[in-house]
Amino acid sequence: MFSKQELERYSRHILLRDVGGPGQHKLNAARVLCVGAGGLGSPVIEYLAAAGVGTLGLVDDDRVSLSNLQRQVVHSTANVGELKVVSAAERVAAINPNVKIEPHPIRLDAENVTGLVDSYDIVVDGTDNFPTRFLVADTAYTCRKPLVTAGVLEFYGSLTTLLPFETDAGGQPNPSWRCLMPREPDTAALTCSEVGILGAVVGVLGTLAACEVLKLITGVGEPLIGRLLMVDIRDMGFDVVAYYRNPTSPVFGQG
Amino acid sequence: MWITVRLFANFRENRFKEARRQYPPGTTIADVATELEIDPGLIGMIFIHGRAAELDRVLGEDDVLALFPLLGGG
Repeated sequence: MFSKQELERYSRHILLRDVGGPGQHKLNAARVLCVGAGGLGSPVIEYLAAAGVGTLGLVDDDRVSLSNLQRQVVHSTANVGELKVVSAAERVAAINPNVKIEPHPIRLDAENVTGLVDSYDIVVDGTDNFPTRFLVADTAYTCRKPLVTAGVLEFYGSLTTLLPFETDAGGQPNPSWRCLMPREPDTAALTCSEVGILGAVVGVLGTLAACEVLKLITGVGEPLIGRLLMVDIRDMGFDVVAYYRNPTSPVFGQG
Repeated sequence: MWITVRLFANFRENRFKEARRQYPPGTTIADVATELEIDPGLIGMIFIHGRAAELDRVLGEDDVLALFPLLGGG
């Protein structure tokens, strides 16, 4: 049962066809792990908190810097120097005090990643480096956790949703992250601190990632499984590119 | 042989979104990248007909090659 305040707070979800009270109950019961509390993480954290996702785990070992504030809108000028997970937790408490925050001010590594990923229902990845992206994706696959993963640079972004431990409507196994990128890049990828990023680009991609998480929790619509969304803000174009499972991928033990 | 090349994100700048182009038999993905003056080190994902491929893959007639840059920021 919702309290009177919850009924009012979540009324636009409860009214919404295909979400309704049952969908809101699912949101309230969900545990989501947000890897990265930076640019992509900001709208993810804010929208999932506003939606009433019951528990948000936040992973980031970084501290807020002035150069973050052009795009990392979950943090404020007063938070400069604070741990990002602490700063973001303050913002979540201000948005929706019903949400439980579990801050993890750590850098994910092979030792700690499995226990963390395994204790949540869904993982959303907004990290800023490929080694962590691969670690999270491989672990989410092993732990059978849905993963929403996005990346950005300059005026561009990508987004997809991975459930490689399930099959599609035709009975074919869904693709994994390794079906997109079989192995980590040989060279260090360019970063936003090297080539820059239009601030609002992370807002677009992070908000779309939050939509995917809300859809996965409520069961509404078709997630971006086997589809890569490419966003081009420079020319304002959105492309959806189909991709397929690669049975020889290293993650399936045959590569 | 004819190949359809699809480019994404900043690879499109001063190039194209999609083009059907002719290459000699034996052309690899790396050859196409070189011809388009795309640094192979900046390539993230490579698809042939929606399946991941490596730079040394030899292309075939009517292949649809998609090249995506590394978008590693968060």
